[in-house]
Amino acid sequence: MEVRILHVYPDLMSLYGSYANIAVLRRYLEGLGCAVTVETLAPGDDADISKVDFLYMGAGTEGQARFAAEDFARFGPAVKEAAGDNAAMLFAGTAMELLGKTVAMAGGEVYEGIGLASFAAVQGKKRLTGDVYGHTELYPEAVVGFMNKCAVISGVETPLLSKVEMGWGNEAERGPEGFHWKNVFASELTGPLLVKNPKLLETVAAAIYARRGAALPLERPGDEWAEKGYAVTEEQLKKRVEN
Amino acid sequence: MRKILAVILCKLGRAAGKLVGKGSSLPGKLALKICPDILGRVELPKHIIAVTGSNGKTSTVEMIASILRADGKTVVYNEEGSNQIEGVTTLVLAHADLRGRVKADVLLIESDERYAAHTFRFFHPTEFVVTNLYRDQLTRNGHPEWVYDSILPALHPDTELILNADDPLSSCFGRGREGVKWFGLDRCAIDLERPSGVYHDGARCPVCRSPMEYDYVHYNHIGAFRCTNPACGHRKPRTDYTVTAVDLDRCELVLDGGTKLSLAFPSIYNVYNILAAYAACRECGVGEETAAGVLGSYLLKNGRMQTFRLGGHHGTLLTSKHENSIAYDTNLRYIAGQKTDCSVLVIVDAVSRKYFTSETSWLWDVDFDQLNVPHVKKVVLSGRYCSDLAQRFSFTELSNWFVTPDIAAAAAELKAAGDEELYVVTCFSDRDKLLAHVEKEG
Repeated sequence: MEVRILHVYPDLMSLYGSYANIAVLRRYLEGLGCAVTVETLAPGDDADISKVDFLYMGAGTEGQARFAAEDFARFGPAVKEAAGDNAAMLFAGTAMELLGKTVAMAGGEVYEGIGLASFAAVQGKKRLTGDVYGHTELYPEAVVGFMNKCAVISGVETPLLSKVEMGWGNEAERGPEGFHWKNVFASELTGPLLVKNPKLLETVAAAIYARRGAALPLERPGDEWAEKGYAVTEEQLKKRVEN
Repeated sequence: MRKILAVILCKLGRAAGKLVGKGSSLPGKLALKICPDILGRVELPKHIIAVTGSNGKTSTVEMIASILRADGKTVVYNEEGSNQIEGVTTLVLAHADLRGRVKADVLLIESDERYAAHTFRFFHPTEFVVTNLYRDQLTRNGHPEWVYDSILPALHPDTELILNADDPLSSCFGRGREGVKWFGLDRCAIDLERPSGVYHDGARCPVCRSPMEYDYVHYNHIGAFRCTNPACGHRKPRTDYTVTAVDLDRCELVLDGGTKLSLAFPSIYNVYNILAAYAACRECGVGEETAAGVLGSYLLKNGRMQTFRLGGHHGTLLTSKHENSIAYDTNLRYIAGQKTDCSVLVIVDAVSRKYFTSETSWLWDVDFDQLNVPHVKKVVLSGRYCSDLAQRFSFTELSNWFVTPDIAAAAAELKAAGDEELYVVTCFSDRDKLLAHVEKEG
């Protein structure tokens, strides 16, 4: 299977090892026998979103996200149409905020997101950071990661993590985190998210396959180090949840 | 009255703390409770030099203190590194008389970048050095622009800024200000044509977000940057204090086209720290000869480099702050620049010594591919997060890496075989876990 990945604004939205989400996804898909091409989109460039199997945008500073939003608005209708057509996407860190209706910056300026979802982000002057341990409806294993944001996101009807036992969620500590609709995944968690959570990587790959009407092959490549790394972090964070 | 009480209690607390080996922030905390504006009520020295930034604060402050003392000045500074307002309060009051007069020529403060605005609420530095601003401890700092916004309110209009001309972000502090003194490196033999590393924080202008170009790069995104948007014009400014040539092989640098200095440790970092210290001292009236005389023979005291023996290996510990990819990159570049065969041990056991976190995204910001050179024979990955390290290494071009989770076992394995040089790359939080198994030198 040929898979086209579009990495949106890789130089602009590159905090917290964002690129690694694409690196692990690419290797995973290649391990399944896919021919993967990764194209990048810089501000001002053109792209045909309808031909993309997986669209990705990583975390940026609040200022970088503001600049990205201005350019990304051009693609809003196409991204929404592709999402409605089950295209797989991941928006990590501040990129998640651009999916909603509005983003209010700490200085008072309010700008529009692409309106794929009905939530609103309000950035503040306090940094909300810390390890996160939670669960998604998508699979039983825990999701682990690190929160590093300054926004409160309200109005998310379909979160990615329905339960957060430790750390910051969209609106509050121990509240639901991220956004999930059809094959669109969004989360402010870093680690990076797909690197830290091998099961989520598999889920995203399955979403790419599903849109093509296929299931993931039964025999799948394992990643010894990713699994071991996840086990250590899961164990450490679980201990803190239980104490 | 509250002032005198705060001074007395702080002095007593400091003396008691010294006896039991406790940190230096508690007495200041107590004093601030009694008299919250105590720092506005004391009489401070004529020169107050502050140093902040992501990297090089401690080294730069150490060098500034040595130069000023060599020039005959009395200097009060936070040698213990307590660099938030409580520590600064302890420092000031411990050196004040009962009327709150600090008897010294210079008050020198290493300031935590995030809390500088808080520290300088009641007084402001006469000279403020910002060494650089880049990705560092993002678990507590958020990101470099967040830190920039935290420092900005600490910069009083009357303060003379001494800034790094080669850093696109921290140089923004000088925009629209008069009297800024700039330090930087001219094009040098060690330069690169374009930014290095796995991410590109120099790709876009921090002011207007337009693409940036570089005439030359000293490391990562530090160099002669230039915004391509003519309406913006953000670019490397003309420098007042300049390293005009660097030869890391011969451990030499040239200051302002004339004075040659030898480097005790041939790292590009060290070059910037020396230059920042030189600029600050010259701005305080120290002569060129005195400053250069101290720096030319300067050995850092902070122990970031430790040599040792482990079995047949001669080893060097290159202390690299975890969560700081540029610190790692610089040490990896140093190893890559050596000529003799070596092994490298990378340890990530506790991400931070101050707080617990499993955040390892910073490993993806480190350019470990720099170790892909013929003389690096083997890389050993160890510590609690060795699997995260291994996963990161599985995305490099290197294939000669091995995992030994237990640090003592990794040390024993290395001790048992081989006589090649050994470089250990790890943080303050993890270094002693290795040093416990070696014979230290010097």
